[in-house]
Amino acid sequence: MGSTSATVAVTGLGGLAYGLLLFVVAAGLKLILGVMKVMNLAHGASYLAGTWLAYLFADGTLTGLALALAAGLAAATVGGAGLAALLRPLAGHTEQAVVTLGLGGIIAWLFSRISGGSSLTVPRPGLLDGHLSFAGHGYPIYHLAFIAVAALIAVAMHQVLHRSMAGIALRAAIDDPPIAATLGLSATRIRIAAITVGTALAVGAGVLGAPVLGPAPGVDATVLTLSLIVVILGGAGTNIRALLIAALVVGMVNYVGAVVAPGLASFSLFLVVIAVLVVRRQGLRTAVAA
Amino acid sequence: MTTTTAATASDAAREDHTPASAPSGRRRLAWRVGRWPAATGVVLGAAALPALAGPYVVGLASSAVVLALLAMSTQLLAVAGLPSFGQTAFLGVGAYTAVVLAASGITDGPVQLAASAATSAVAAVVTAPFVLRTRGVSFLMVTVMIQGLGYAIAVHWTGVTGGSDGRHTPPVTLGNGHPLTSTPGVYWYAITVLAVAAAATAVLLRSRLALIWRGHAGHEPRMTALGYRPTVNLGAAYVAAAVLAGIGGALTVAINTFVSPADLSFDVAAAAFAAAALGAALFGIPTMTGAMAATVAIVVVRDYFGSNGTGPLYFALLCLTVPYLRPAATGLRTWYTRRRQA
Repeated sequence: MGSTSATVAVTGLGGLAYGLLLFVVAAGLKLILGVMKVMNLAHGASYLAGTWLAYLFADGTLTGLALALAAGLAAATVGGAGLAALLRPLAGHTEQAVVTLGLGGIIAWLFSRISGGSSLTVPRPGLLDGHLSFAGHGYPIYHLAFIAVAALIAVAMHQVLHRSMAGIALRAAIDDPPIAATLGLSATRIRIAAITVGTALAVGAGVLGAPVLGPAPGVDATVLTLSLIVVILGGAGTNIRALLIAALVVGMVNYVGAVVAPGLASFSLFLVVIAVLVVRRQGLRTAVAA
Repeated sequence: MTTTTAATASDAAREDHTPASAPSGRRRLAWRVGRWPAATGVVLGAAALPALAGPYVVGLASSAVVLALLAMSTQLLAVAGLPSFGQTAFLGVGAYTAVVLAASGITDGPVQLAASAATSAVAAVVTAPFVLRTRGVSFLMVTVMIQGLGYAIAVHWTGVTGGSDGRHTPPVTLGNGHPLTSTPGVYWYAITVLAVAAAATAVLLRSRLALIWRGHAGHEPRMTALGYRPTVNLGAAYVAAAVLAGIGGALTVAINTFVSPADLSFDVAAAAFAAAALGAALFGIPTMTGAMAATVAIVVVRDYFGSNGTGPLYFALLCLTVPYLRPAATGLRTWYTRRRQA
């Protein structure tokens, strides 16, 4: 009996780590969607780029991880500013989406060229390598550290969004762009900031989450779809708490489902989506109306 | 009464869908007349392809037919103002319908096509009320999600789909019971289906319903105020688009005698979405001709020139360049129509 509950606990921790990973990626996607009103189809590729950087810099030390994170943030800044510049002359949703599709395609192609189309395993830093054991079940220490860091990111995001001037400006730009503009907030600057920070969140999640969900062909599409589901379930407005709950539900359903009943994982996810959309009748329309 | 509302709908449609630089009456006519010889050449060339090219190119062209149907499906929704990424889900419904029929001994091609069209239409009717609560970017988001969920279900519902390994099927048969196995035979079957579907779509796009779709795309509040019901009208577009994709699914099975989740993967959805988007990018209006031209361009660039592995890169570069060519394309068109008139 004790062994069963330990299994549940370990699986639950796995789902928690997966859910928090999705939360960070989804927060970035939501930021770009909310401010730019652009469906960024390269968002999953940003995550892939992050995991790949983690692989390149991984040398078994925390310094390697920090270097990968710094490189990732630099790449996200350049990439985000570049994307903002590329999207600027385009007006239609489809044109903008197709340009992001092209950018994501280039990243995915580079990755497949370098990895030879196979999955790569990113080693954990030595300090965080090893397992904690619960009643005979090992749980990687790295995942616990990841849970702590991602939870910190969530708290920091909530604080910035609700307690700082930058957060207030951002919420204004998302909720009512014309009024924000009349108050003297620069729409251009907020757009560039949003797309840069949004991309940085995806790349950063990739760097830190690489030992959890590593670089592999197709991981970009998986992460994009799952984080999109989180954004849709998270609903309208800049509600970090709702986004977090949605991410944890999707992470748990996907991870626990995959462990307990592999055949049912995608169905249960599908059922959760349908259930939420049916229950919350306004949900879908307001999901990105903000 | 009907004529008045239709006329108003056409006003609403024209108001927002004709770019300022579009050529007026006679110039536009000149542009259209100029396309007839080109269209005839394309049809003759397509029919004679097996005589002109080797089996590899013919096989490639057969698979391009499936992408063309997906692109048509996506573009039909674009006409109604709905940017969709998820038509592959309906391709999946159609394809696995054909697989189930083939497994139970029904290999007749047209029967499979009809059944796939029916099941994908049902799937569209069921999902439409949810999906059509959204417009614009939200619609795009939700359809990306549908694509992902459709793929995940195809991977995991192993009882029907065979999982990632896919399922093999016997070749389809035509009325006389002969199996369709030769590469040119399969190709002619595919382009015949494409031609029929294209003709039906062309008729549909010249109907009053299409005018209403354009009205919804242009200014939905005004259409609603005129008494049009968006969910019903756009639902019709959603179902018609799903039928096109479902037919594409049945054709996938007929062409490859095999189907796997890879046939409805993100990459396939991306190609279809890009074909429709690039087909609208040059002149800013979603047209079927544009979608077909973009489909051919994508297949040539990605699968023919890029067969050594660089295909995805070429495809990505196509996505990154074409949307920026609109000023040049518009200028070229103006110059061409002026020259024809002079």
